[in-house]
Amino acid sequence: MPWELGLAETHQTLVLNNLRSRIAVETDGKLMTGRDVAIAAMLGAEEFGFATTPLIALGCVMMRVCHLDTCPVGVATQNPELRAKFTGDPQHVVHFMRFVAQDLRELMAELGFRKVEEMIGRTDVLEPKQAIAHWKARGIDLSPLLHRPDVTDDVGRFCQIVQDHRLDRSLDVKELLAIAEPALERGEHVHAILPIRNVNRVAGTILGSEVTRRYGAEGLPHDTIRIHFNGSAGQSFGAFVPKGITLSLEGDANDYFGKGLSGGKLVVFPPVQATFVPEDNIIIGNVAFYGATDGEAYVRGVAGERFCVRNSGVRAVVEGVGDHGCEYMTGGRVVVLGRTGRNFAAGMSGGIAYVLDEDGSFPARVNREMVLLEQLEEAYEMNELKTMIQHHATYTDSEVAHRVLGHWDEYVWKFVKVIPKDYKRMFEAIERAKRSGLGQQQAFMVAFEENMRDVARVGGN
Amino acid sequence: MGKPTGFMEYERELAQEAAPLMRVNHWNEFTQPLPEGKLREQGARCMDCGIPFCHTGKLISGMAAGCPIHNLIPEWNDLVYRGQWREALDRLHKTNNFPEFTGRVCPAPCEGSCTVGLNGSPVTIKSIEKAIIDRGFAEGWVKPEPPAVRTGKKVAVIGSGPSGLACAAQLNKAGHTVTVYERADRVGGLLMYGIPNMKLDKKYVQRRVDLLAAEGVTFVTGRRSANTFRRSSCLSNSTPSSCAAARRRAAICRSKGAS
Repeated sequence: MPWELGLAETHQTLVLNNLRSRIAVETDGKLMTGRDVAIAAMLGAEEFGFATTPLIALGCVMMRVCHLDTCPVGVATQNPELRAKFTGDPQHVVHFMRFVAQDLRELMAELGFRKVEEMIGRTDVLEPKQAIAHWKARGIDLSPLLHRPDVTDDVGRFCQIVQDHRLDRSLDVKELLAIAEPALERGEHVHAILPIRNVNRVAGTILGSEVTRRYGAEGLPHDTIRIHFNGSAGQSFGAFVPKGITLSLEGDANDYFGKGLSGGKLVVFPPVQATFVPEDNIIIGNVAFYGATDGEAYVRGVAGERFCVRNSGVRAVVEGVGDHGCEYMTGGRVVVLGRTGRNFAAGMSGGIAYVLDEDGSFPARVNREMVLLEQLEEAYEMNELKTMIQHHATYTDSEVAHRVLGHWDEYVWKFVKVIPKDYKRMFEAIERAKRSGLGQQQAFMVAFEENMRDVARVGGN
Repeated sequence: MGKPTGFMEYERELAQEAAPLMRVNHWNEFTQPLPEGKLREQGARCMDCGIPFCHTGKLISGMAAGCPIHNLIPEWNDLVYRGQWREALDRLHKTNNFPEFTGRVCPAPCEGSCTVGLNGSPVTIKSIEKAIIDRGFAEGWVKPEPPAVRTGKKVAVIGSGPSGLACAAQLNKAGHTVTVYERADRVGGLLMYGIPNMKLDKKYVQRRVDLLAAEGVTFVTGRRSANTFRRSSCLSNSTPSSCAAARRRAAICRSKGAS
């Protein structure tokens, strides 16, 4: 749908409901000139997205082969020979945007506007082109697009009210930062126990950002800041937490648990006085560890749907997951000590999942388009898995973990290893390259080159 | 379309030309056609552009960019790469009445617009075009195809140069009865009298003219059209009649009120 229609309706509806002053409206879709920007502003936008045109300014010729690694102008390719043909320069984009701004400035001067804000929603200065004589244009009535809602002057026409995220009232700002002060200032170990409620969203995230600000991507040594919570955590508990922070939660958590986890450690288990069976009940909500890149997590209980979607590095142990577990996962390790939902590992291109399949029904719930189901064979791999489960037992006192470890020789064969086909081939290619005496980085490149043209690539060539 | 990685694997290669000392001995064409394997490699160099410019046919600052007759270049490049010559010929004939002329003497603005040519050497579109039609004639795929139904309308085409012949071919294909008037003693205009044999051999021109004649086009040579129309009953005999004029004669026709 052309952006003009959606934009006009959005703007008019927001103005009619006196909400426009609180929201910034952005539009994009083939914006190319200052005139496009002026029209978008007058139809109600104050932010404008440019994507393709700057790309063209950099030399893109819209070959539409970005996925084939054959971009002849070196924009979307890994091939060093083709990349050498790239003629773009950041200055080209700068120039392009400057020209757009200049164009807009001239149009504004012509129309008598001083600021872009003044133009927003001013459809009264827009009029349909009369010169279009095409028969298809005959039945077109643009007046609904150019309608200006009849509201009083105190109704804002553009974004003027900044949203109050109430960060000053968050758990992090009120308590965690003060508690972690010795760790942040001097790298000392801190430990605290706090109550938590479901209004406390993103617990630990601002603290995490402080750690990153002061100690960079490296973070602090593991377990420097340990905080234990009691209660029900709100959404996004432990989101983006970096290395050095360990958050444990005795209770349960809402959706987005550990979203974007970046090196921290998260533990969740039910209170001792809980009467239910942990491994049969949901303890954290949907979409846990979405897009997480690094860290560890131990969940005593079942997670909701879309567990570890887009995970690229977290090592997590959980006792059951809902539908679409490990979807689009690209790295990390996931151990599921229980049932999974359907469509497990859909689009999974990296990492490994180990699923305890006691009744043999797991393969039917896997999306096998991109993955292989295997048995554990190598001793180092078994040890790796055992260590993860041992940690799980230590942190959460999980009964399932204790049972599995108690009869390890018997249970180890009940694990199904879910490994993406591409990942496995790449893994083997890297191992081969390393055996031939290459260093880590060189081995990566050799394996990459080797796999680039492999017809068996499930991810597509 | 060709092969996605073709342009990286194969170099542009043109047909071999005879050494100048050999050429001076005769007036004939002096290019040696590429062998089939090479041609298919050249077809493979076509990149399956999202937005191809070779077939666009536009004037940029008064200069032609891309094929002015909108040849479906990426399509027949791909067909040649796959060795489907017959299909390639059909695609070529869809937009081009005389590929054997354009394949020899066209300045190839398509190659100038080729995306591979942005930072490398363009696909050898012209050689491929020539190879397709030459093969078509060699295999006997090009045969007279008279229209199944005649409309009964008569058309006079004045001038038998490339545009006059193309005009005649199209109108004849549509079922009209076409007569081409030529001032000179032989049909072909520029093709026959303007372009030397080393570039376009007269036998190829005559071959196409014979083909058109077999399809039902009548050729009248040695007739000055303006005088013909004024004096003769050419137009009045043709009912209903129309007059299509080719490029170089258009002005004459209109000024005499013949159309």
